[in-house]
Amino acid sequence: MGPGDLEKILSAIPEESAPELLSSLRTGEDAGVYQISKGLAIVQTVDFFPPIVDDPYTFGQITAANALSDVYAMGGRPITALNIVAFPCGIDLQVLEKILLGGHDKIHEAGAVIVGGHTIDDDELKYGLAVTGLVDPAKMTTITGARPGDVLVLTKPIGTGILATALKAGLLTEEEMGEAVASMRALNREAADTLNRYRVNACTDVTGFGLVGHLYEMANAGGISAELWAGDVPLFERTLEMASMGMVPEGKKRNFEYAKNVDLRTKKEDALILECLYDPQTSGGLLASVESSDADSALEELRVGPCPRAAVVGTVSEGPGGAIIIIHGRSG
Amino acid sequence: MADADIDCRGLKCPEPVLKTRKALAEGAGNFTVLVDNETARDNVSRFARTSGCRVEVSDTDGGFLIAITPAAGNAECSGDEVPIGCDSVTGTVIFISSDEIGTGEHELGATLMKSFIYAAAEADDSLSTMIFMNSGVRLVTEKDETVANLSRIADRGVDILVCGTCLDYYGLTERLKVGRVSNMYEIQSALISAPKLVCI
Repeated sequence: MGPGDLEKILSAIPEESAPELLSSLRTGEDAGVYQISKGLAIVQTVDFFPPIVDDPYTFGQITAANALSDVYAMGGRPITALNIVAFPCGIDLQVLEKILLGGHDKIHEAGAVIVGGHTIDDDELKYGLAVTGLVDPAKMTTITGARPGDVLVLTKPIGTGILATALKAGLLTEEEMGEAVASMRALNREAADTLNRYRVNACTDVTGFGLVGHLYEMANAGGISAELWAGDVPLFERTLEMASMGMVPEGKKRNFEYAKNVDLRTKKEDALILECLYDPQTSGGLLASVESSDADSALEELRVGPCPRAAVVGTVSEGPGGAIIIIHGRSG
Repeated sequence: MADADIDCRGLKCPEPVLKTRKALAEGAGNFTVLVDNETARDNVSRFARTSGCRVEVSDTDGGFLIAITPAAGNAECSGDEVPIGCDSVTGTVIFISSDEIGTGEHELGATLMKSFIYAAAEADDSLSTMIFMNSGVRLVTEKDETVANLSRIADRGVDILVCGTCLDYYGLTERLKVGRVSNMYEIQSALISAPKLVCI
């Protein structure tokens, strides 16, 4: 569902309030956080979707990495996961076995365990997980808190929605989108660990709402405005080419309409890049608002470590909250 | 309701693009595509333009009618720059994916590339196609010396294909001085069908 519709529906549901509840649905937080004792809170999140790659084991891995990502975005450590499966009759059960094995392996790589799950019959195959993690509330990174002067760091390239559409259309093979597949199945754990060694004022993971959509949520939640440098955003190989072949998924339009307060100051030649900036992502990277004096070192450590294509993609400035300016590049 | 050759209402992306692509590959003349949402409108228009077609979009009460005019002078391939299934390359193809030759000092690499293009312009051989990709597109845009020698090669009737995505990426689309904008389909087809392929 598009972010705009979701926001509308949630506004009709009474807001939760409990002294232990540290997160709010209103701010577009990545996961729910509930304090259970001093210095300890649980982080809970759920995510499921239809296959985006053909190989079932890979799909299982990607889905689990995606579900775990919300926990990492908040600075937490995953401990348990539950499988959610919708499976059509008539499909070889080995497919499901491989999907679940992919999910299992990824959850174990994260140091967590799968404790159960639920399966239903459905016309379309879907897989996902509900993940629980632990976090120290004092050290938690949330989507609020970005400060004027911060630098925006993105840890993975963009383009999985466009490439998955091209894969569906037969314009690309899974091997040809290898860079994106490797990225989608990669945990955000090391990226989060690296970032947490620096002063990160806000953090979120880039998923269905696209880079601009998630930046918009961060800007809204923090009451700040942001500048995004279109030409500096790393893109997966062949993303621009596939965008030029008309492979932009429908979610892009919903994301474009959601981020209302965007001032486009890009150049004509940036049209295709803009499509990518709103492209819904699966298991995308972390978007972190980092103290400017820490940004260079954080970026360097990310690049030589877990995120070779991490990049600085913009800056944060004084309100109005939620306003985003997209320009051609760092130099204007 | 407007009559359309291809009715893509109710179809989800990327189906409308695939139907358009099929029509072009099958050698359709001018044709229209009816879509019912903006994403499909944008995707079909962009695909057709990338494929070298002229595109006009009009609003209808059921959505958008996209009139597509394939590039002229290529009845068989029709899509012109989407020669899917058309074996058009007959001679040697040179594939250049960098603005320098080899890895090492950049200055030396650039000089070598300049000399190579000069030598290719002096030679009289079976060269039929040159393809420029990635930073190779600088050779047909901003580097005057290679542009001059490549113009001499183009004058011999050699087809010079330049990757549109790459031009776009480097912000050089407006600065193309020799050759014509191409896409991955045509380039892939030329590489696969080349009787002799030279990669620099």
